[in-house]
Amino acid sequence: MNGVLLLRIWRFAATRLVIITLATIVWGWLLLFFYSQFSEALRQLANQSPFLKQFTNFGSGNLFTVTGAITLGTQHPLLISLIGIFAVGGAALAIAGERQAGTLEVLLARPLPRRSYLLTHLVAIFAMVGLLIAALLIGMAIGAVSQGLTGELDLGRFPLMWLNGVLLWGAFASFSLAVSASFDRPGPAIGLSLAFLLANYFLEILGSFWTDAQWAQEYSLFHHFEPGEILAGKADPFDLALLVAVIAVPLAYALWIFQRRDLAAPA
Amino acid sequence: MEGEARGGAPPAIATERLTKHYGSVHALNALSLEVRAGEIFGFLGPNGAGKSTTIRTLLGFLHATSGTARVLGLDVSTQSVEIRRRTGYLPGGIALYGSLSGEDALDYLADLQGQPAARRAELCERLQLSTHDLRRRIRDYSRGMRQKLGVIQALQHDPELAILDEPTEGLDPLMQHAFYGILEDLKAAGRTIFFSSHVLPEVERICDRVAIIRAGELMALQTVQDLLARRKRRITLRWRGAAPDLSFVPGLADLQVRGDRAIATLEGEVGPFVRAIASPALEDLTIEPASLEEAFLEFYADGEGPAMAGRPSRDAQPQGEAP
Repeated sequence: MNGVLLLRIWRFAATRLVIITLATIVWGWLLLFFYSQFSEALRQLANQSPFLKQFTNFGSGNLFTVTGAITLGTQHPLLISLIGIFAVGGAALAIAGERQAGTLEVLLARPLPRRSYLLTHLVAIFAMVGLLIAALLIGMAIGAVSQGLTGELDLGRFPLMWLNGVLLWGAFASFSLAVSASFDRPGPAIGLSLAFLLANYFLEILGSFWTDAQWAQEYSLFHHFEPGEILAGKADPFDLALLVAVIAVPLAYALWIFQRRDLAAPA
Repeated sequence: MEGEARGGAPPAIATERLTKHYGSVHALNALSLEVRAGEIFGFLGPNGAGKSTTIRTLLGFLHATSGTARVLGLDVSTQSVEIRRRTGYLPGGIALYGSLSGEDALDYLADLQGQPAARRAELCERLQLSTHDLRRRIRDYSRGMRQKLGVIQALQHDPELAILDEPTEGLDPLMQHAFYGILEDLKAAGRTIFFSSHVLPEVERICDRVAIIRAGELMALQTVQDLLARRKRRITLRWRGAAPDLSFVPGLADLQVRGDRAIATLEGEVGPFVRAIASPALEDLTIEPASLEEAFLEFYADGEGPAMAGRPSRDAQPQGEAP
């Protein structure tokens, strides 16, 4: 890992990171605010229609419990977009983007091993994801305190939730980085990375809306990050192990392919 | 190719049958050349000849299909990081981060290099890049200013070997002149400069030796003087009265006689030619100075004929001195 490169990656992302961190804190707070203020009204509304009732199970969450609301909030498209900017977009551009821009060869003309370049980007992205998941949990903690929900939440389980969240988004980052290491242009790298994210999301949502397709959720990475289960003290170590494996495999591929591939002059 | 160059110093660059194929495209074919420590070496060839492929292989961006290459005595396939620690590289059409100021970009690249930017102040002064300029964002730079910044980032840490791809591209004549001065000073300080160029007058002016590459193959590796001595010169003669028969004159070719004028090309030594034409009837004689450009073009002339006389076959040695 290279400290100079790590610092520069963070400095390039600093403004966006600050804005998105603040937005994530607000989102975490909003989850518990909405739960506290509107869950009862929504329950009455949902009871009037089977379709709406099914809709309340969105993303394996449950609008009418605090843990369910948190699960739902962590799988909401808005939060996925916010974290995905760094975990997917940032990782997909890390190599392919610099290749097309022509800046990669200026960097790699220094005594900077390719392995070090790739691992530094991985560490930088993991740290950003870690910050954003922490911001989400901080927002939730603020929401829980401000709405008087601390009795319904075991804040001591937040560290495990943080770890599970980082591993989930780390898996997407690792995949995106592997794709980025394989292409010279950012278009295909971003396209494939987004397709992977959306495919996982689709499988998770499909299963949550349609009981006959619940089996599909097992094949979604999102299904292996269930804050509700963690907060209920029913965390499954298999989820963590699986996510670690999903991080390791693309990373091993990325290290292999990036080391071996030719870096021809940018077009 | 493992041998040492003149003076006992190991060669700065040595390639031995270096080959790079992209599928059916042969970008480099058994390229063998040697760049001596402390010389300015010009690497000539048109687009697609294999210049950038060679440079990128030397720096570890590309992996050779076969053959070997050593830079500063280090193997390019296994010691690439150490090579890059001791070299400075200017890519062709350099791209830098537009959001950074020139100063921040230079600081960043010097930090990554892990060596102090010992020559930066001097280079900025000679290339007329002021403190004010350095504080502007790169996205606001003109092409010439970007190129100056590229030259500075490649040389600021005073590398043993500078590899420069089209270094004067975008520089105005004044800055080109300043750049040549910088290279001459680097050479005087014992540094080696390897640069590719399309600008033949500059190569002719500053290089000690040149290599000419065509379709991935080395066509010539010679001193500039040797290369010029071998090339054909265009001559014009004017006589009092009708021009005499010149067909017997040694080295003369492409003869065209029009009344009192004769136009021809001359290859080889000038002395025998001058002796052969010496006559009171000779009123005027013009011999155009040899230029590298014409020598270069001779290597690229299509078809058979004297222009390609020195072209080696695939397995033959390139003309000129053995590397």
